[in-house]
Order: sequence, then C-alpha cells, then structure tokens
Amino acid sequence: MLVLGCIALIAGCGCLGLWLAYRIRRRPIELRECSMALALLDTEIVWGATPLPEAFCILKERTDSPWQDFFAELQERLQQGESASTAWRETVITRNAQFCLKPEDWQVIGDVGKGLGRSDRTEQHKQIELVQRQLIIMKEQAEAWSSKQAKMWSYLGFLGGIAGVLILI
Amino acid sequence: MSLHYTLSVVQAPKVTSKAMGPQREGSLPGLNKSATLWADMARWFGDDIRSILNNLKGIDFNEVEELRLRVGQPLLVRTLDKDLFINQEGLAASPQKAYFIKHEDLASAIERMTHSSVYAVEEDLKQGFITLPGGNRVGITGEAVLLNGQIQTIKHISSLNLRIARDIRGLSLKILPLLLSSDGSICHTLIISPPRAGKTTLLRDLIRLISNGVPQVGLKGQTVGVVDERGELAGMWQGVPTYDLGFRTDVLDGCPKASGMSMMVRSMSPQVLAMDEIGHSDDVIAIADALRTGVRILSTAHASSIEEARSRPVITHLLDQGVFERLVVLSRQHGPGTIEGVYDLRTGRIL
Repeated sequence: MLVLGCIALIAGCGCLGLWLAYRIRRRPIELRECSMALALLDTEIVWGATPLPEAFCILKERTDSPWQDFFAELQERLQQGESASTAWRETVITRNAQFCLKPEDWQVIGDVGKGLGRSDRTEQHKQIELVQRQLIIMKEQAEAWSSKQAKMWSYLGFLGGIAGVLILI
Repeated sequence: MSLHYTLSVVQAPKVTSKAMGPQREGSLPGLNKSATLWADMARWFGDDIRSILNNLKGIDFNEVEELRLRVGQPLLVRTLDKDLFINQEGLAASPQKAYFIKHEDLASAIERMTHSSVYAVEEDLKQGFITLPGGNRVGITGEAVLLNGQIQTIKHISSLNLRIARDIRGLSLKILPLLLSSDGSICHTLIISPPRAGKTTLLRDLIRLISNGVPQVGLKGQTVGVVDERGELAGMWQGVPTYDLGFRTDVLDGCPKASGMSMMVRSMSPQVLAMDEIGHSDDVIAIADALRTGVRILSTAHASSIEEARSRPVITHLLDQGVFERLVVLSRQHGPGTIEGVYDLRTGRIL
C-alpha cells in the first residue's frame, strides 16, 4: 500500500512537471503561429483588400488549433455585425484559456484589434507590422528561455515527488 | 490592386439556386415577405435604426427606393412618390416627431456595411459610395481628406443614402425588338435617363435576355461580357452574383471600365460588352478600341434627354463619332422605368 502511494505521488508530481514543461515549450510555437497568421492577414489586407470576415475564414483554414478556433470565433462575431475591435478584444478574453501564452503576449496580440479595419491598407500594414516585430522579439526570448525551463520542470516534477516521498516516509 | 480584380464566370443555374437576393423570396406571403426584406436591410444598421426598421409598419418594401440618413435630421424613407419620415416606433410621422439620426448611427452603419474593413472599400469610398452584397449602393458624404489634391478618403460621414436595387424582369422585352438590326444582331445601344429612373435595372434585364436569347424575336443567346465597375449590375459577393444575368454572361467585378473592356475582349471573346454609366474620357478610347474587334456595346449614361446628353463632352464625342446606333431614353413620368422613346441615331427617327 505504501509503495503504491509513493509511486502515485511520484507519478503525480512528475506529470505535473511534464505538463508545465509542455506549456513552456508550446509558448514559442504559438507565438510563431500567431506571427505567421498575422503575416497572412497582412497579405490579405494589402494585396487582396479582402474584407475581414473573409480574411479570417482564410486564416482559419491555414492555421492549426488553437489559433483555428480563435479565428473561427472572430469570423463568426464579425459576420454577426460586431465591430472588429470589440470582436478581437472579446475573442481574446474568451479564448485565452486554450493557449499557453502569457498575459504580456496577450497584451501585444490585443494591440492588433485596436485599429483593425479602421484605416486604409498602408496604415493597416504598418500596424500589423509593428505587432509582428514585437511578437518576433517575444518569440526569440521565449525560445531561449523555454528550452532551459522546460527541461528543469520535467526533472523537477519527478524530483519533487521523490522528495515528498522521502519526507513522508 | 490591378492584379486582384475578380474575374468570374457566371453560371446561371448555380446562381438561381444560391441567390440570396431579396427579390427571390417569392414564396412568402405578401406582408411577411415585406417584413423579411426589411429585416434583411436592417442588418446593415446599428441597434437603434435596426429596431426601427424591424418594427416598420405599413410601408411595403417593394415600393421603397431609398433610405436616407443625415446626421441631425429625421430618418427618411423615399418611396415611389412620397417622402416618409419615420419615428422611433417605426411609423410614418411629421418631420419634427421623427427619429433624429445621431452620429453614432452613421458610424455603426458604416462599420456594418464594410464588415469593419474600411480598407476593402477604400477605392469606392474615394468616389463617394460603397456597394453592399446584393448590389444595393450606398452613397456617402462627409469631410473629404485630400492628399496632393486627390481625395484620400472621406471622414466624419454626415449622410448615407441607401439605394435599393431592383430586379424587374421582362421590362426590356418591349424594347428589345427595336434594338435588333436587320441581320439579327444587337445594335450598339446607349440608355440615358435622369437618376432613379431605372437605367441599371433595364440594362440588367437586357443583359439577361441577350445572354439567354429570345426565340420570339429571333434573338439567339450571345456571349455577354459585363464590366461591372461599381458592382451594381451583378451584385457580386465573394465571386457569386446576386442577380441572374443569364447563361452566357461573364462578369468582371470592380474593374475600371476602360481597362476592363480590353481585358474582357482579350480574354473572354464576348459578342456583346455591357457596362454601366460611361462618362469618363478613358471610356471613349476603350470603346473605340473594343468596336474594332466587332463587339457590340451596351451602356448607360446620366442625362434626361438627347439635348442634355449632347451637352456632356464625352457623350457628345461618342454620339458624333456614330458609335451608338440606338438611344433609349427613360424617365420617371409613370414611375421608374418609363420608356420615353427609342431613337435610331443613324437616321434620327423615333422607333
């Protein structure tokens, strides 16, 4: 019985550590996907003059989950007549639980919505480019940080479990 | 931008089944139908005006020509013969008791009409209008922003005029025989009328008949190329036309007429080229070019009579050159679409 308890404790702590490590590894990937999606959006706006609902539909098809669901919700909201800035803000609020991003990432992503669709193509391009530049910096930082941190958490979980077992015994 | 004109081939059967145009919901009973059509129109406005339009009573949608919103002025619905001011409850009222338009109403209407994508209608906005899916055109005034003397955009929008597009079938059947030459081909035709007299509607109907063919008058179906600069003729939405323009019609949407005409001639080999509202000097050169390829021209222009048309340099030039063989004059004398006369421009006779 005691042995089983010990194994459960170690496995539990280990899984928690692995999960945290997974989340840390996901963050730069999600940031990269976001910047890729913004590049697509930029192309649609500048070259295609595509209206936003249609542009989000294209983004939805070209991205993976969770960004796929994010753009699907945006498209739906815009089709119901919501303004782009409110739709973007609300979607960020409702969907952020599905992502592994940090609040500071959302702050940058939230900036996209502020002037979205309100000006001509050159202005839209400028705004999206600005956000993209920031996202790339954040992604690089996250990458450098994540490899170390992820490794640490995946070990720390199991080690924490073993430490717990030792203390309890 | 020039790379992105939508070149799409109209497939009539698909169009009819997919058509979302308000004119197609023929199976609903009269009153219900009008309410549905109003609801369809109301979605373009913010909450206040939407609820007014949804509650509108006693105004048949099919009689309405324009919806006018001017900031600080009452909401106005123009029907065939009356101007109606609408109050908060959706009833016709005196101007003083009507619903007064606020700036926010206009802002949210523009936001909805452009799907929050002002950049997508940038070019249209410079010319003072946007076209809604379904071909309804919205005229816009406000404060023009200039850059080097060119209009950059319009800000602080102060008035909107939503013109409801109609799809009236069979109107042109009466005049079609007069537009045929002795060998059975279509004459080069110009339709002129003052605003709101049904030029575009007549042209749309002519295109459909020519494209499908009318065996009764010995007209075989012909390939028609439509250069729809303002998106009113086909009412294109994401490549699908709202209006049925016939089996043999190709539509080039949103493209300037001058470059569109040569694109059409080069790529789609049309027998008839149709376009709305000529008046620019570039159009003349393009028409002259197109004529050399043996294509028939079908077009409209703003003018209420031959004399008035002749006072416009571009139109005079075309008439003097003998480009057009037939001239159709429309008026609103007995409602929109009244045909005043069809002239043979070669002989000057009324047909």
